[in-house]
Amino acid sequence: MFDHRIYEQIERYLAGSMPAEEKAAFEALLHSDPRLADQVQEHRQVLHAMKHYGQRQQLRHKLNSIHTEMEGGSQSVNSELRAWKVFFKKHAQTMAVAASVSLLSVFGTLWSVQQIKKPVQQQTARYVELRREVEKIKKEQRAIINGIASADAATPAPRSARFSGTGFAISPDGYIVTSSHVIQGADSILIENKAGLKYKVTEVHRNIDYDLTILKVEDPAFAGFSKLPYTFKTTASDLGERVYTLGFPREDIVFGEGSLSSASGFEGDTTSYQISIPLNPGNSGGPLLDDKGNVIGVINGKQAGQEGAAFAVKSSYLLQMVKEMKERESGLSVSLPQQNNLSGASRTQQLKKLQDYIFVVKVYN
Amino acid sequence: MRKSLYETDEAIMEGIRNDDDRALAHLYKLHFPMISHFIISNSGTDDEAKDIYQEGVIVFYEKIKGNSLELSCQIKTYLYSVCRRLWLKRLAEKGRYANRIEDSENYLSLEEDVPQHEENERQFGVMAEALDQLGEPCRTLLEDFYIRAQGMQDIVEKFGYTNTDTAKNQKYKCLQRLKKLFFTSYKPEV
Repeated sequence: MFDHRIYEQIERYLAGSMPAEEKAAFEALLHSDPRLADQVQEHRQVLHAMKHYGQRQQLRHKLNSIHTEMEGGSQSVNSELRAWKVFFKKHAQTMAVAASVSLLSVFGTLWSVQQIKKPVQQQTARYVELRREVEKIKKEQRAIINGIASADAATPAPRSARFSGTGFAISPDGYIVTSSHVIQGADSILIENKAGLKYKVTEVHRNIDYDLTILKVEDPAFAGFSKLPYTFKTTASDLGERVYTLGFPREDIVFGEGSLSSASGFEGDTTSYQISIPLNPGNSGGPLLDDKGNVIGVINGKQAGQEGAAFAVKSSYLLQMVKEMKERESGLSVSLPQQNNLSGASRTQQLKKLQDYIFVVKVYN
Repeated sequence: MRKSLYETDEAIMEGIRNDDDRALAHLYKLHFPMISHFIISNSGTDDEAKDIYQEGVIVFYEKIKGNSLELSCQIKTYLYSVCRRLWLKRLAEKGRYANRIEDSENYLSLEEDVPQHEENERQFGVMAEALDQLGEPCRTLLEDFYIRAQGMQDIVEKFGYTNTDTAKNQKYKCLQRLKKLFFTSYKPEV
């Protein structure tokens, strides 16, 4: 019933290109014929949808071409980069928090460790001060005997200063041996043992090469020492032998133990042993004994700046020196001990017997 | 130089109103990175980003063309809001409810624009389907006449009809069928 003429009419009506009177007639027809009105409505909708659809297709097409143009050639590279950017942007906050937490904990830990350490540092600091005070006292009382190399330099000390070293008896007749550098430049020398016995002594023989000096008690009241408990070893001792010494690095007698670490001394000096006993200024002149209680050497120095390297003159040179002295001044009665009372005794027993024959050598000038 | 022409939102909108494709291209390129970033950081892909963004631009474009846009904010915010809504809907359709959306911009709720657009989309979907079912040469005939607005004479020549009356008759039959196809699946929501 509808043919294309009616369609044309509808289209002309919708497009608004109808002449006025035809339009009025058509509208009147619409009012009277609801089916026609429906048709018109439907027609309008379809046309509208179709037109829009067409526009939309065109627009899509346009946008697509813009998009391809925009992305250009380096799209694959970009997308990876973009993915990274996205990832970073997404997690930037988390990362920032994590970073700050780790920074905080690192520095916090450092700081708190420092805080914990502080008291310890203070302690060491105090200790250093304390030692300095001790050193001040020492300066007044003792020689600073620090190694063979520095020994010579250290000796031209201020005139008023007092030095000290260690010495020990070599014969009951009142002969004492000590290091030469201890009594260098001395006006007067006093010896004193732990028991409190004090004697004035004079130098009777010196050998600079061996850094040894023999002193003799000058006190008229001196009646001689009791029998010495140790003997002197004439042969060389073996490497690794356990050795010990007694000396006066402080006001009190100090025991030091170690082993014989080399058969030669400072810079290959064959007159000395190297020993691994911690020594301090004041130990010079002390006896070096082995397990059996034989004197195997005389302590005379250590190497500055090197750990556990101390030196002692071998006892054979001491004996040789005693012989020299006897030859030079005939008529001297130096009776070296022949019997060892220490072998077999425990270390503490040995020390008890020994300590009466070890003296602090006080040097006045 | 080109760029400075469309520096302001007003200039872009004016350009689109005047059918200036460069304005559209400028707008498109300007805001794509933002939407792309939004979609990708909310579990989307590059292609989905492109799709959603184009829809957003279409909404905006048609609003301007229809002079029905009362822009109370920047174009950027408007596009972001539209695309955000579209993407949320897409996610819901995929059965993946985004429990937390990573927003990088402010956005408007746009209660009206998007539903309107969705209704249009539905209509176009039906129309596309109807045209597909219509088959040739009806489809091309109708498209030529109604969409490309070609004259009856051109159509007669192109399709080889003997005269305009045959063409008109053919067009009438095609339109009749299209209407039928269209209205069987499309019921306008009242």
